[in-house]
Amino acid sequence: MTQVSPLQAKDREPRAVMIEARNVEKWYPNGYHALRGVDLTVHQGEVVVIMGPSGSGKSTFLRTFNGLEEFQSGSIVIDGMALGNDLRQIGAVRREVGMVFQQFNLFPHLTVLDNLTLAPTLVRGRSKAQVQHQALELLERVGIHEQAHKYPGQLSGGQQQRVAIARSLCMEPRLMLFDEPTSALDPEMVQEVLLVMLELARGGMTMVVVTHELRFARQVADRVVLMAEGEVVEIAPPEQFFNTPQHPRSKQFLSQIS
Amino acid sequence: MDPRLKSPSRLARLRRDLFGTPLDGAITIALLAALGAGAQALLNWALSRADWAVIQANSTLLAVGRYPMAQQWRLWLLTGLLCSATGASWGLLRRRSWPRNDRIAAGLLLAMALVVPAALELGLDVRARWWAIAGLLLLARWAAGRWSHRLPLICQKLWPLAWPGLYVLGLGLIGGGLGLQPVRTSQWGGLLLTLIEASFAIVLCFPLGIALALGRRSELPLLRWGSTIYIEFIRGAPLITLLFLGQNILGFLLPGGLAPDRVWRAAWVLTFFAAAYVAEAVRAGLTALPRGQVEAARSLGLNSLQTVLHVVLPQALRVALPATVGQFITLLQDTTLLSLIGLLDLLGTARAIMANPDFLGRNAEVYLVLAVLFWCCCAALGLGCRALEHRLNRHSSTASR
Ligand SMILES: Nc1ncnc2c1ncn2[C@@H]1O[C@H](COP(=O)(O)OP(=O)(O)O)[C@@H](O)[C@H]1O
Ligand SMILES: [Mg+2]
Repeated sequence: MTQVSPLQAKDREPRAVMIEARNVEKWYPNGYHALRGVDLTVHQGEVVVIMGPSGSGKSTFLRTFNGLEEFQSGSIVIDGMALGNDLRQIGAVRREVGMVFQQFNLFPHLTVLDNLTLAPTLVRGRSKAQVQHQALELLERVGIHEQAHKYPGQLSGGQQQRVAIARSLCMEPRLMLFDEPTSALDPEMVQEVLLVMLELARGGMTMVVVTHELRFARQVADRVVLMAEGEVVEIAPPEQFFNTPQHPRSKQFLSQIS
Repeated sequence: MDPRLKSPSRLARLRRDLFGTPLDGAITIALLAALGAGAQALLNWALSRADWAVIQANSTLLAVGRYPMAQQWRLWLLTGLLCSATGASWGLLRRRSWPRNDRIAAGLLLAMALVVPAALELGLDVRARWWAIAGLLLLARWAAGRWSHRLPLICQKLWPLAWPGLYVLGLGLIGGGLGLQPVRTSQWGGLLLTLIEASFAIVLCFPLGIALALGRRSELPLLRWGSTIYIEFIRGAPLITLLFLGQNILGFLLPGGLAPDRVWRAAWVLTFFAAAYVAEAVRAGLTALPRGQVEAARSLGLNSLQTVLHVVLPQALRVALPATVGQFITLLQDTTLLSLIGLLDLLGTARAIMANPDFLGRNAEVYLVLAVLFWCCCAALGLGCRALEHRLNRHSSTASR
């Protein structure tokens, strides 16, 4: 993954808005103020990387996009659907939004193939045979179709994370969320997962990625978001963010990680 | 490669394990001597001093209580059905292979079918029934193992559902009705009653316990408090108290005819009692489940029910299974308390027999048979559950990492 420029071609025409978060505030039940009025707009086909120090609220923010965390004020609209207390609406959003976790969270009691087919058959009501066909294609795309009948515990970390990505893709989502997808991996397995994500971005998938992988952010992101202490501090294209950061917090963060 | 090729011969291994150091050797010899002496004393007693007439004369009573003679064919039929189903399940689990344990079990079964009826001096026709049933079990085991792969997959998957069906059929056969002559519960007794009570409680306490465990972790406060109070109340009270209490109040508590008499009331008390303990075992399984599992399921769009059924329970129950099986075995043994509330279960029948002046002083024989019977039932239960556990844990037993 060397000479990938951010897909500027996409910027020509105005694109549909995929995520519209306005002034989102979140308190955890213990009273901790985790999100302090954050705004973010993500357009269709865009790849947004969220960075920031540990505990700054990146995961919390990402998890509000598919209703895994509730928020107390502000508004979030995903692909035209407002996230609120309406359970049916949350279900509709989750069907369109895939999520990849740091700890993979594959279902250990199901084979790789069944991990992929579970949700499409249950949630979309599709026929098992049809989904299996699609699942095998997806596994081929992420390079693990030979392991389709193994259990997750028999795979390496990198393979498991690729299965997790394929599992989300099997639901044919319009938006993919990644929460530090490579942080739990041994260093030699990071690339194979990033490559899959790169392919996905090239295919035009809308992605929001929390990661500390600078190279990935530089090469794939359309914009980089820096969060600190529950706030969005800076949003900028990667060259600008990494070369001429505006906010003191950004400068501090960049000096700490490089 | 055959792993045995590399390991030392069995004899060498035995010698190393038993006589590795002088101290090991001394302990081994002392234990062997003690075991030998004990076995000799027991055999000596069993063959010369003991008088087995008490068992021979009362074998039917111990087995089925006062179940009417003319209707006992129903029990034989049921036993035949159950044994065939057991054999079929066994075969489905093992396919065509006959591992050493299976061969030992089959051998033991055959030996028991030959020895036990002969030792009880049963009539030739009854002995033939024993042989037929043992033969049926092994035949079903063999046939299911041999030909199950020809069955469509859906039949194999749905086979476990045959068990609840068989269970209801069994209760119908035992109790009568629908054209069969009714046999009142007061006529059920002995091993039959013990097994009915235990199996009823085992079958029902399992789903009830799961529901309670889920309730205890529910987000609805009322459900959570209700489940917690129930579980803690039951676990804080001795079973015998609950049994007496149940005899007095269950008639009012349970709706229309669910607990019409003492036998059913006791069965329900056992069920409610065991459910609290099963709930705690299941709760341990739920607690062991990483939070990410539920989050992954929800983020894929599964609703709460689908998440519980397809992601949470399959994993939690695997963790809970060993403790739950232990609970089932305890439950089977706890049925002996029924004799204290006047039911003629195995222990109740035994006590009635020992009170008979004809068999005065033959307590040891009766208790020994009781112990062996319970041991056999518990062993069968444990073996069945172990096989199930093994099957469910395929994913972790084959894990390479
Ligand atoms: N369930 C929770 N209850 C209370 N505080 C929480 C909870 N989850 C996270 N937090 C706090 O919220 C802050 C943001 O957490 P998180 O979004 O996970 O940060 P990041 O992903 O940027 O490292 C942290 O200070 C963390 O301690
Ligand atoms: Mg995080």
